[in-house]
Amino acid sequence: MNANKDDGKKMKLFINGQAIEVSVEAEKPNLLIALQHYLTPEQQQQSFAVALNGDFVGKADYQQTLVNQGDSIDVLFPIQGG
Amino acid sequence: MTLNTTLNIYGQHVDSRLLIGSALYPSPEIMKQAVLASGSKIVTLSLKRQNPAEQAGAKIWQYIQELVKETNGFLLPNTAGCKTAKEAVTLAKMSREIFQTDWIKLEVIGDDYNLQPDPIELLQATEILLADGFKVLPYCTDDLVICQRLYDLGCQVIMPWASPIGTGKGLMNPYNLETIRLRLPEATLILDAGIGKPSDACLAMEMGYDGVLLNSAIALADNPVQMAKAFSQAIIAGEQGFVAGMMQQRQTAHPSTPTLDTPFWHQQG
Repeated sequence: MNANKDDGKKMKLFINGQAIEVSVEAEKPNLLIALQHYLTPEQQQQSFAVALNGDFVGKADYQQTLVNQGDSIDVLFPIQGG
Repeated sequence: MTLNTTLNIYGQHVDSRLLIGSALYPSPEIMKQAVLASGSKIVTLSLKRQNPAEQAGAKIWQYIQELVKETNGFLLPNTAGCKTAKEAVTLAKMSREIFQTDWIKLEVIGDDYNLQPDPIELLQATEILLADGFKVLPYCTDDLVICQRLYDLGCQVIMPWASPIGTGKGLMNPYNLETIRLRLPEATLILDAGIGKPSDACLAMEMGYDGVLLNSAIALADNPVQMAKAFSQAIIAGEQGFVAGMMQQRQTAHPSTPTLDTPFWHQQG
């Protein structure tokens, strides 16, 4: 993947409601790339779960799940609750 | 003091009838101490967005993990904040992956003002999640027909509210709650939300409810740890009172002290 030349285009995604621009390489970006772009290294080691456009995506499927312009991604973490 | 029986959650027997929330405490440490003082074995928690700069959630999660390990307890994730069946189903699946449990406290809110559950969306989400292998603990109103529908779908646990979340108003409609108990004798019934005082929890247990789920009443007390103990004792008292069988109310007074040979009784001067 790293051998592919960046064509300079950007793709806009919405992660947790925040607009994020991800570089589009020759290969279409997948969910794993988008998450690596958004999360800090510490957060990537924590427990979190992901939904793409309102549908759950399991951890095992991040790499094979392609993302498209305007997609909405939710990344959720454990928190206290009642 | 110990309970006569255990709480049955889809065949999992739990030796505390108090389910406790992990939110709203003055600090994570007080939350931990309150949960330990309560004797509860089931702690509720949730999932939320977290900005990259934010780290508070990670600390709370660490505390809750330690607690559950220390008490040999269980996590009960909720779907707080969901307003549609689709949202709730997605959040339940996300929770199952993170928390490694098929238990889900299913909340689908229909009204922003009193956080009243949406019964239509709740039933839809319940059906989908049960079919997907979840053990659904639905949070619902004290409506007999909704509870009956949830039971008919396959819910072994049903959690009607006492009153709206966080109000502390106690049991708004004892008649409804008693009716649900009488009509669904096989269901595990847990009173959820709106409890304000230990006596509210005791009353639910005296009605024959199987358990009580609460958060604000403990977390917002002046002394959450002491209040957690008070709720624990109230639940045990109510449960033991129900099991012991209470006397029937009577319309007229009956003296407790035997009247035979009462001194000065009808003594003629």
